[in-house]
Amino acid sequence: MVSIRSIPSTPSSLTPGDLPWIIEHREDRCTLCGRCTAVCPVYAIKLTYMRQRMPRLVLTSNERGSSFRTFVGIRQKTEIANKCIGCGTCAMVCPNSAIRPVPNPMSDRFRFQSTVGGEPVKRGGRRNDPAPGLLDKIIFNRISMLTDPALDAGRHEFFLNTLLGRVLSPEEYIRRKINGEWIPPVREIFPFIIGSMSFGALSPNMWLGLLQGVAYCNEVLGIPVVMATGEGGCPPWVLKSPFLKYIILQIASGYFGWDEIIRAIPDMQCDPAAIEIKYGQGAKPGDGGLLMWFKVSKLIARLRGVPEGVDLPSPPVHQTLYSIEESVMKMIQTMSMAWNFRVPVYPKISGSNSAKSVLNNLVRNPYASGLLIDGIDGGTGAAYNVSMDTMGHPIASNVRDCYLDLCAQGKQNEIPIFAAGGVGKTGNVTQNGMALIMLGASGVHMGKYMMQAAAGCLGSEQNRCNVCNVGICPKGITSQNPKLYRRLDPDQVAQRVVDTFMAIRTEMKKIMAPLGRSQSLPIGMSDAICISDESAAKRLNIKYVC
Amino acid sequence: MTEAITIKGVDEKGNRISSKDFEDLVQEAFKQSSQLILETYGQHNVGGRLNPKGNKLDIQIKGPAGQRLGCMGMPGTTIICHGSASDDVGYLNIGADIIVRGDATNGVCNAMAEGRVMISGSIGARGLTMTKWNPEYHRPELWVLGSVGDTFAEFNCGGIAVVCGVDPKTPENVLGYRPCVGMVGGSIYYRGQTDQSYSRTNVMAVLPDDEQWQWLISRLPGFLEGINRRDLLDQLSVREDWKMLQSIPPQDRALMFSGPMPMSEFRKNIWDKAFGGDPIRDLAPGLDRSPIGLIETGDLRRRKPFWANQESAAPCAYYCPVHIPTIDRLRLMREGREQDAYELVLEYTPFPASVCGSICPNLCMQNCSRQMVDESIDVAMLGRAVKDFPAPAVAEPLGKKVAIIGGGPGGMNAAWQLALRGVEAHIFERDDKLGGKLAQVIPWERLPRAIWDAEVKRFMDTPNIHVHFGVNMTKDKFTELQKEYDYVIVAVGTHEPRRIPFPGHERVITALDFLKGAKSDKPPAVGKQVVIIGAGNVGCDVACECYRLGAQEVTLVDIQKPLAFGKEKKAAEALGAKFKWPVSTKEVTEEGLIDAADELIPAQTVIVSIGDVPALKFLPDTVEVLTVGGAGWIKTNDACRTSDPQIYAVGDVERPGLATNALGHGKNAAHAIIAEIKGEEWKPFTKQVINLQNLTPAHYEPETCPGTHTDIAHADIHEADRCMSCGTCRDCHMCETICPTGAISREKLGENEYKYVSDDEKCIACGFCANTCPCGVWLMRPF
Repeated sequence: MVSIRSIPSTPSSLTPGDLPWIIEHREDRCTLCGRCTAVCPVYAIKLTYMRQRMPRLVLTSNERGSSFRTFVGIRQKTEIANKCIGCGTCAMVCPNSAIRPVPNPMSDRFRFQSTVGGEPVKRGGRRNDPAPGLLDKIIFNRISMLTDPALDAGRHEFFLNTLLGRVLSPEEYIRRKINGEWIPPVREIFPFIIGSMSFGALSPNMWLGLLQGVAYCNEVLGIPVVMATGEGGCPPWVLKSPFLKYIILQIASGYFGWDEIIRAIPDMQCDPAAIEIKYGQGAKPGDGGLLMWFKVSKLIARLRGVPEGVDLPSPPVHQTLYSIEESVMKMIQTMSMAWNFRVPVYPKISGSNSAKSVLNNLVRNPYASGLLIDGIDGGTGAAYNVSMDTMGHPIASNVRDCYLDLCAQGKQNEIPIFAAGGVGKTGNVTQNGMALIMLGASGVHMGKYMMQAAAGCLGSEQNRCNVCNVGICPKGITSQNPKLYRRLDPDQVAQRVVDTFMAIRTEMKKIMAPLGRSQSLPIGMSDAICISDESAAKRLNIKYVC
Repeated sequence: MTEAITIKGVDEKGNRISSKDFEDLVQEAFKQSSQLILETYGQHNVGGRLNPKGNKLDIQIKGPAGQRLGCMGMPGTTIICHGSASDDVGYLNIGADIIVRGDATNGVCNAMAEGRVMISGSIGARGLTMTKWNPEYHRPELWVLGSVGDTFAEFNCGGIAVVCGVDPKTPENVLGYRPCVGMVGGSIYYRGQTDQSYSRTNVMAVLPDDEQWQWLISRLPGFLEGINRRDLLDQLSVREDWKMLQSIPPQDRALMFSGPMPMSEFRKNIWDKAFGGDPIRDLAPGLDRSPIGLIETGDLRRRKPFWANQESAAPCAYYCPVHIPTIDRLRLMREGREQDAYELVLEYTPFPASVCGSICPNLCMQNCSRQMVDESIDVAMLGRAVKDFPAPAVAEPLGKKVAIIGGGPGGMNAAWQLALRGVEAHIFERDDKLGGKLAQVIPWERLPRAIWDAEVKRFMDTPNIHVHFGVNMTKDKFTELQKEYDYVIVAVGTHEPRRIPFPGHERVITALDFLKGAKSDKPPAVGKQVVIIGAGNVGCDVACECYRLGAQEVTLVDIQKPLAFGKEKKAAEALGAKFKWPVSTKEVTEEGLIDAADELIPAQTVIVSIGDVPALKFLPDTVEVLTVGGAGWIKTNDACRTSDPQIYAVGDVERPGLATNALGHGKNAAHAIIAEIKGEEWKPFTKQVINLQNLTPAHYEPETCPGTHTDIAHADIHEADRCMSCGTCRDCHMCETICPTGAISREKLGENEYKYVSDDEKCIACGFCANTCPCGVWLMRPF
């Protein structure tokens, strides 16, 4: 038995220096206002009383004794459950700049102790790889000054949109037109798409704020932005609203919320932008969606048709699908039929060696409207750390292979490939997106970037914050607790969405103008990009420069 | 007035002169004349860089003009082109008046900073682009009689354009497609139809104000003069026909950058209207999603403080088998209620001095939180302090009788508890004295006789307690008791020593018999060498008694690692006892103990001390017995009730334990019986022990010499101050003081009654109260 006097030492006992984030508190500045401890999402810090012994030992007068001084400070807890996540909300509320988390430069022993209760680490966020990605290294090197018509991003008009849907070859289009046959639906949309984040993964204020911003982009600015729902369904009033046309509804193996969608079909004022069939996700390939119980509030339970407060793991695969041909055929046809073949339907897969096989099946499927490939750097609201960090396929070569495959078949203009996974990971969202577009993508999806840009998500690839899974988001982005998500003003989210897309629009022009392209998106324009990494250049079949 | 010089753009052979050579001729001629007639043949950059230095220079262009006519024109220069001109008329012009009596193509006035360009026809694309205006000079002007081409006035900084719309090339759109992109200064007057594609972030459509109109109407004749169209003056002097595009001032443009419509307006007029209310009102009726801050009070806090006074148990009360609330006793002492404090202890046990103060290993002290600071509270001393305090007054009789078989600690506490609460308690004891093993076998060294006698006397003197000595219990007698009494409590303990049937076992004395004998008036004789089989705490007691009775060498043997601990072990070791293990006894002979390895441990006396078991022959069949380790033990529930509802069993008959365990059982059984008599529900002690992390030991100063208090009269007061009052408010006001928002206050409820409350409307849930509370009373909980 460990005596009470002693401090027990267990295999999991840690010191603040073993934790990934260290709280730096300046007692000389602290006013003891209590805000930091009140706001800390994980209650990592507390007011701590410390006792200091002050010996009184005077040799000459033979005076001996000790007195004690008590002092206070804000100190961090070392229990795993309360470890500082580095979000810095304490610093945000401190009136005196007296407190802040600093990343621990030493190896954090916490990693070895995080499997409390035999449960491996689950978290939200992205692959913890803070280094700039390959996309960041791609440079646009075809600068038309005198050789091509010089375009001015500020003055010229640009056609920046992309096509989502099956584009028939001219002969086929004319033939069908003459015979009055079905023409596949095609949407003209902005090539930067808000990637699928579910109503559930996101708080109501975040999700609706995004949609409000998207609606503004379309209706006020004329930027045809669309957003994907994720597999949590869609509030019925939204389904019946005129804004549904800006929404890509996702269907995934959990089928959450689809009863409400089907129920709303007769009352819909317009068709959704598209239907996304999720087979995989870049952040956690081979794993289904996961909404942890913390976030299954009454509201979410109601929308999804499940009990309150239960974990909602979706199966890794749709349970009625057995082969790739069947999957593609069955799902695409069912979903196309739901809106009488008026809505584009495309699958989303995680980046993988097998992406080309999927694509080739889609090419042969008359109803498939595209393919979305989600690379390893994609974000998620909840996944096992091991899936997030170590599984998947980087998006660049995956998209490139698929695009070149289409080129070889002469189908590159007929079935669009969309890319996702780490677009804007280091903040270079337009550059990343345009690089992917020039590698062959028709557009890109961005989820995590939107949380960061539109709502101030604090998460980083240094594992900062990343507590989306447990519903304690200090910004209120991924929480279902109104005490947290009300911190997020939907109007401000919407405004940031607008700011973001306005800026992307301008940056796209800034990239496209020097290429001499203004009237079509430079999809697959790989002669305009280069990289200073020889092996990457070789692999991607683009120019190597140095 | 000098004579006009004519320069031909074609040489004598009819070949075109290069622009470079033509320029040399023009510069040479300019030195001689201020009137130049240039018969150009497509030469470029003609008419510029000729500085009349305050005088006038007239240039007539006769012949096909090249590009950039009037390029870098200087003030004072007038260039009249008698026909249409090519691209970039007035390029980088800084002051010349350039008249084109015809059309001009693209790029008119590009980068012009001063001067006038007057076109009697229409112009091509990108007119008036990149103009400049230095306030020390005049604004550049472009006058066009007809229409202008696309992308007009891009990046126009200060130029003024007048587009008259007379015989325009593009009558449907006199300003061309998307004019004014990037235009930051200047203005455009125009007549006629446009496609309204002007850049709305750069210019606004206005009508000329009086000053602007005045400017236009005063300058118009000069233009018409220049292009020889005075006839149009009336037609162009109709103010209603003129409109303007005016550059937006920088301040206004800054406001426009947030987008063309404020988000709040979009939400109100478009978003909310489309839904007719909150878009999730059907899913979550009445849900308030309005924005809040990071620091909130009231229901918006994620957790709030609870004053959990006495909700969790102090370790002393929790670990004590009798659950004596030492912290309450010390609190009463701090409040100056010494009598109440003593009485409180006696409500729990008749033996605070004998058990707590002497023989108990004091689980309360072993777990005392004060050890986080220095040493535990001295509970033993506190116990001894109650030795001479009288028994509490007994309650009104309840008219019930309980028979208690066995007068050991379990039975005695049952009787004590019953008696104090008004129930007649009859103890039936086989021996001639009370106390069971406490009195019979525990050496007086460990349980001083004076203490024991005083507490037994207090017990015996208590009303409602009746003791019947020398009663041997039998089945028949038991049946009688069942009839005569409302309840029977079996508290006979374990008085059947375990034995091992090795050869020579008849030579071996049992520990029980030995200790009883040793404590009697006629103690047994003991050899010089003694071996004790079984090295537990009883074995240690035996060893001590052996030494007292003359032994010189005592060896305790065991087949496993000795279980002895604490005071008993230390006492035996202090006297010289040796522990030997593993030793498996093969035989006991006259010489001593022979182990499995045939080694002899010499001994004249061998005592076996491997425990005792209950003797339960008198029990009726209705009482279920559990057989463990070859002996039967009575099966009971939390209330010590057996399978026969009339019969309870307490103490070692259930399972062997400390005297304190027996006291605890006795209390439980008595309280369960009283509850049933009163028709109340009896509840076992279920409080959780306090989480030590909730305490704040830093508030206490460690004492350099703790635990050496001998002055009993005052030592307990000192202990009261040392107590950390785990889980019980000590009314220190520290929470009230530390609370940064002044949310906490103390509410007086009555005499010695109070509570601390936190005002929900002030509290921000910082948790400082919980972090500060010395006693762990304030807890932060989600709500």
